[in-house]
Amino acid sequence: MDKMLTVARREFLSRLKTKGFIVATILAPVFLIGMTVLPQFFLFLKSDQPKQLAVIDQTGVIFDSLAVSLDDRNAAGQRVYNLTRHEASAETLPVLEKTLTAQINNGELDGYIIIPAGILAAGRAEYRAKSVTNFFENERIENALSRAVRAWRIQQSGLNAEQVRQLVRRAGLRPIRISASGREEEDQGRTEGLVRIMVMFIYAAMLVYGQIVMRSVIEEKSSRVIESVIASIKPFQLMAGKILGVGALGLTQYSLWAIVMGLLSLYGVRVTSLFNRGVTSASGFSMPSVAPEILGFFILFFVLGYFLFSAIFAGLGAMVNSDQEAQQLVFPVIMLVVIPFLCTFYIIENPNTQLAVILSLIPFFAPMTMFARIVVQTPPAWEIALCFALMAATIVGIIWLVGRIFRVGVLMYGKRPTLPEVIKWIKYA
Amino acid sequence: MQTLQLDSINKSFGNLEAVKELSLAVAPGTIYGFLGPNGAGKTTTIRMIMEIILPDRGRILINGAPNTSPAVLDRVGYLPEERGVYRKMKVREALEFFAELKGLKKSAHKKKIDAWVERFGMAGVQMKKMEELSKGNQQKIQILTTVVHEPDLIILDEPFMGLDPVNAELVKEVILEQKQRGTAIVFSTHLMESAEKLCDAICLINKGRKVLDGEVKTIKRGFGRNHVILAYDGKSDFLKNNGVIESYNDSGNYVEIKLRPGANPQALLAAAMQHAEIFRFEIAEPSLHEIFLATVKEA
Repeated sequence: MDKMLTVARREFLSRLKTKGFIVATILAPVFLIGMTVLPQFFLFLKSDQPKQLAVIDQTGVIFDSLAVSLDDRNAAGQRVYNLTRHEASAETLPVLEKTLTAQINNGELDGYIIIPAGILAAGRAEYRAKSVTNFFENERIENALSRAVRAWRIQQSGLNAEQVRQLVRRAGLRPIRISASGREEEDQGRTEGLVRIMVMFIYAAMLVYGQIVMRSVIEEKSSRVIESVIASIKPFQLMAGKILGVGALGLTQYSLWAIVMGLLSLYGVRVTSLFNRGVTSASGFSMPSVAPEILGFFILFFVLGYFLFSAIFAGLGAMVNSDQEAQQLVFPVIMLVVIPFLCTFYIIENPNTQLAVILSLIPFFAPMTMFARIVVQTPPAWEIALCFALMAATIVGIIWLVGRIFRVGVLMYGKRPTLPEVIKWIKYA
Repeated sequence: MQTLQLDSINKSFGNLEAVKELSLAVAPGTIYGFLGPNGAGKTTTIRMIMEIILPDRGRILINGAPNTSPAVLDRVGYLPEERGVYRKMKVREALEFFAELKGLKKSAHKKKIDAWVERFGMAGVQMKKMEELSKGNQQKIQILTTVVHEPDLIILDEPFMGLDPVNAELVKEVILEQKQRGTAIVFSTHLMESAEKLCDAICLINKGRKVLDGEVKTIKRGFGRNHVILAYDGKSDFLKNNGVIESYNDSGNYVEIKLRPGANPQALLAAAMQHAEIFRFEIAEPSLHEIFLATVKEA
C-alpha cells in the first residue's frame, strides 16, 4: 500500500512539475475563453468602422423609414451605416450599378442595397458589397429593412400601427424540467449545453489521462527501468499506483479549471458582453448552476470511466515497445470512447428510447451515455443500479486481466505480441 | 541459516523448460557466482528469486522466509541485466523513490543516500536530471540504488556487462565491501574469468539444469593439477600431435593445456621451447572455463 502510494506520488509530482502540464492547465481556459470571445471581438472590431452604403430605392417610399430603423451606433456613438439615397428605373439601373460598383472598387463606397419596387408586396432586396459574410451585419440590415417595409404596409392598410404591434406580439414558452426529486427548474437550453460540456469533460478525461498512463508504462519499459521497479513492488501495485497518480493529476487539473470557471461566473464577468453591444446573441459563458446530485453522478462517472479506460491503456502500454507501436493498437480503444461520445448526441434528443437504454447500459459507453440520460431525463433507479453493477464488474474483470498482461508484458521486448500470445501471457502469470 | 535457498525450482515457458529442479544455497558473507552460457536460465532464475516471475514448482527462501511473504524482498538489492533510469527525474528524487520502494521511510533514507552519494562522488549532480548525466554516472546511480538500503542479499545480473572499467572496479569494490558486512552476493555472468577471481562458491547451469556447484577451491581440487598454462611467442606446432596433450584451448599467445593422465609436464615444456619463446609456464588447476566445458561435454 505504501509502495503503491510512492508510485502514485511520483507519477503525480513528476508530471505536475513539467512545463507541459503547467502550460496546458493555463492555456486550456485561455483557449476556451478565446474561442468564445475572439470571434465576437473581431466582428465587433469590424462593425465599429462607419460604412458608406448607397440605397437604390425603386419603391420611392422606403428610404426614410430604413434610415431611421438602421441606426446602429458604434462605441464612439457614430452611426455605423451612413446611407445615401439613389433612384433608378429598370432602364437606368444597370448604369447606376456600374457607377456604384466602380465607387466600391475605389473605396468611396462600402456597398449598396437595391430595394425593388415589388418588395412592398413580396420579394427580396439585394445587398452587394465586397464582403457579405458578416452574419450579424446581414441580419441587422435585413431586420431594419423588414421593419421599414412592415411599417409602410401597416400604414397603407389604414390600421393603427400600435394596435398591430400588440396583436402580433409573440407568445413566450418557458421550458421547465421536472427532475427526479420533484423539483422544477427553468431550462433555457442550458441543460443541453451543460450535458454536452460535462460529457466532453468525461470524454477528455478517459482519452487524455488514459493515454498518459499508457505512455508512462511505455516510458518505463523502453527506458528499461521497469525491471528495477517491479523487483521492489508487485506489478499490480505499480499499475494501480500509476492509475491513481495520473487520476489525481487529472482531478487537480479539472478542479483548477472549475475554480477558474466558478470565479468567472460568480463575479458575473461576462467578458463577451463587453463586445457584443447591439449584437443579438449575448452568449456569456457564465457557468450554469449544477444540481448537487448531477455533480455527484458526474464525479462518479468521471472516476469510474477513468479507471476503466486507464486500466485498458495500461495493458496496451505493457504490450508494446514504443509510442509508434501503441498508436496502431490504440485505435480500437479510442473508438470505444468516441462512439459513446457520438451516441450522446442522439441520447440528449431521445433519452428514453430502447436504443438509448441499451447504449447507456454498455459498461464501456455508460460513463457518457448513462450520464447524459441522467441529466436529460433521469431513468428509473434500477437502470442506474444495473449500470453501476455492470460497470463495477467490468472494471474488476478488466483490471484482473490487464494485471496479468501487465505482469508478463512489461518484461517482453522485441516483436509486438499477437493476440494468441497475449492470451498465453494471461495464462502464464 | 542460509541467506538464499532454492529448493527444486522449475519453470517452463510453453514447451521450453527454462529451469529444471534447481536447488542451491548461499550463506551470509559469500560471493556466489551463478554461471552458464547465454540462455542457460540464469536470468529466469534470478527473476524468480525477485518474484518477478513465479516458479511452476519449488520453493525460494530468503533469510529463511518464503520470498512471497511481505517485506522479504525489501532486504534484497537487485541490479537487473536490462537496466535503465528515469531520464526526466532528478538524481536525488530517483534515489529517494527507489529507497522508498524498498520500504525505507524518508527519515531513514536521507542519511544513507547522503553517505552513498558522497562516497560515489556524486554529491554535485544530485539536482541534475538523469538524462544530463554521462552514461558512466548513470551506471553509478544504478549501482547505488542496488545497495542504498543495505540489503542482506545483493543480486547482480551480468553486472559487468556494458560497464566502463572504472565502474567495473567500483562494482568489485562494493561487492567485496558488502561481503565484509556479511551480505551475501549472487552474481550471474557468462564470463568465467571475472567469476573465478571473485567467487567463493559457484553454481554452473546449462540448459536450465545445475551441472556443478560448491566452493571454487573444492571444485578445482576435484579436477586435479593436470593443467598447464603457457604464455608464448612463436609457432604453436608443438600443440599438435603431442603425445602428452589430451586437449588444449589456444588463444594465440596464451594456451591452457590439459595433460594426459601420468604425462610429464617437462616433456611438454621441452617441446614448446623448440618452437616458441616461453614467457610463462605454470602447472595449475583448471580454470572455471575449462571445468565448465569439460562438465558440459560430459553431461
